[in-house]
Amino acid sequence: MGRDSMTPVQRFAAYGRGQAIDRLPCVPIVGNTAARIVGAKVSDFRGNGKLIADAQVAAYKRFGYDVIRVFTDLYTQAEAMGARVHYPGDETAYLAGPAIESVEQIATLEPANPHKDGNLPAHLEAMTRTVDAVGTEVVVTGALTGPFTTASFLIGTETLVRLMLKNPAAVHQLCEVSLQSALAYAEAILDMGCTPSLTDAMCSTTVISPRQFREFGQPYLTRLTEFIHSHDRSVTLHICGKTRAIWEQMCETGADCLSIDNAADLAEAKAMVGNRVRLMGNVSPSEIMLQGTPDEVRQAVRECMRKAHDNPKGLIVASGCSLPVETPFVNIDAMLNAVREIGWPVHIEEEMETTCKA
Amino acid sequence: MPENETELFQALSDAVVGMDEDRARELSIEAVDRSIDAYTAIERGLVDGMGRAGELFESEEYFIPELLLCSDAMYAGLDILRPHLKIEDANQRRFKVVIGVVEGDTHDIGKNLVRIMLEASGFDVIDLGRDIPAQRFVDTAVSENADVIALSTLMTTTMDAMAEVVEKLQTSNLRGCFKFILGGGPISPAFAKRIRADGYANSAPNAVKLVKQLAGVPA
Repeated sequence: MGRDSMTPVQRFAAYGRGQAIDRLPCVPIVGNTAARIVGAKVSDFRGNGKLIADAQVAAYKRFGYDVIRVFTDLYTQAEAMGARVHYPGDETAYLAGPAIESVEQIATLEPANPHKDGNLPAHLEAMTRTVDAVGTEVVVTGALTGPFTTASFLIGTETLVRLMLKNPAAVHQLCEVSLQSALAYAEAILDMGCTPSLTDAMCSTTVISPRQFREFGQPYLTRLTEFIHSHDRSVTLHICGKTRAIWEQMCETGADCLSIDNAADLAEAKAMVGNRVRLMGNVSPSEIMLQGTPDEVRQAVRECMRKAHDNPKGLIVASGCSLPVETPFVNIDAMLNAVREIGWPVHIEEEMETTCKA
Repeated sequence: MPENETELFQALSDAVVGMDEDRARELSIEAVDRSIDAYTAIERGLVDGMGRAGELFESEEYFIPELLLCSDAMYAGLDILRPHLKIEDANQRRFKVVIGVVEGDTHDIGKNLVRIMLEASGFDVIDLGRDIPAQRFVDTAVSENADVIALSTLMTTTMDAMAEVVEKLQTSNLRGCFKFILGGGPISPAFAKRIRADGYANSAPNAVKLVKQLAGVPA
């Protein structure tokens, strides 16, 4: 499959103006998979902004997708505030222990200094290097974890969700200090010439109720979104798992694009909020991208496009969440190639009928 | 305080559904004081309440926070009633499940919900916790004479660790001794089939249905 005739920046600009493009934007969300492109171990990324940047730039050049997202795991801000993170040799990091054990300790937490604490300086270095290398042709974003999710890493998820019902004020206190970290980090990301990209995994209705999201998730996301908008950048908001019951509220945060997990349906999202936000999604990262064949990837991409290519505010064909580290390169290629094959304008339903008759 | 046994059972059940740990404790003490059969109080009170909470979870009226607080109330009552079980009720052989999150992952809310719902359904559950090496599942299942090994993960990186448990069972000629079931975000029925698991469930209530099926208990 030949490469594209537009750069990602040109493509997004034209797509946003409703002009002709060569194909829909496509984003297999490559995080630690980038280590595989440069032959590095995942744990080598720790504290090494140059390596993260080299890997992300190499992965972008290898696949030609539309957004680079500087991301290794969701814990960076919580770690910078004291949470303990375990780094296995060659796999994605995971939370070893929360920063605090009790409500009384919340007052001891301080917002992270993005230029000093944890791995935040390395991530900022990765962002500025990536922007310097390819920022004129491709959108470079920096992963920013939402305040509610960071709060869950600071005190432990089970403790946090119990506190929502037993001591809501304590939860707000945790979310507020997490928000202060997020705002400081967002400002630093913007200073690097990069756009913050929001993920608030724990806000999923797989975990909490829509009412709880309204109280503990939405207000903090709204303040972050307002801040990013004040710097003239658009906001993409990703929440994992089930989200159908909070799509309206996700829109109310002011987000411009909702990134939808494969646990939700793009056609339903289009019907419910497609007039208000761009949609991004939602090929299954595990079942299809990791474990499927290139042909299954192609079919899944076509299914996403069939459901939502005509979304009034636009569609970015994407994986439903970050790709697993060992996602085969041929499947990432297959995702891009499936979008290239359909091209522009999208006439997918007719094509599928032809395929059926043949 | 409730007048008769039936009312007390209902009140216990309501305390669990209402996430009222203190009330569950108070009513359990009342049941003990009135010499009400502990097994019946657990079954018709606490377990009934947790079952109703599970239904509210399935219908998306309750979410994980509510279910956890319901289980806190259930366990508060169990702590008081269990020591009063008749010896034959306490010692009866029940279907036993060894459960844990595989090595390389510390996300354990999903696993905890499954443990809670299994215990509320009368199964014996050995909870190994999270970040558990494959060999420990095998060793514990053997030493505890378990019926089922239940594995959970939220991370794709640790899916191979699930296959490793099966391999270890096979190389020790133990595969036939235990049923082996899976759950967690990235797991699909196809993956479960590929590593020759005996079952897969996509939610805590469905995990209970699956274990009941494996135990030959009517759902």
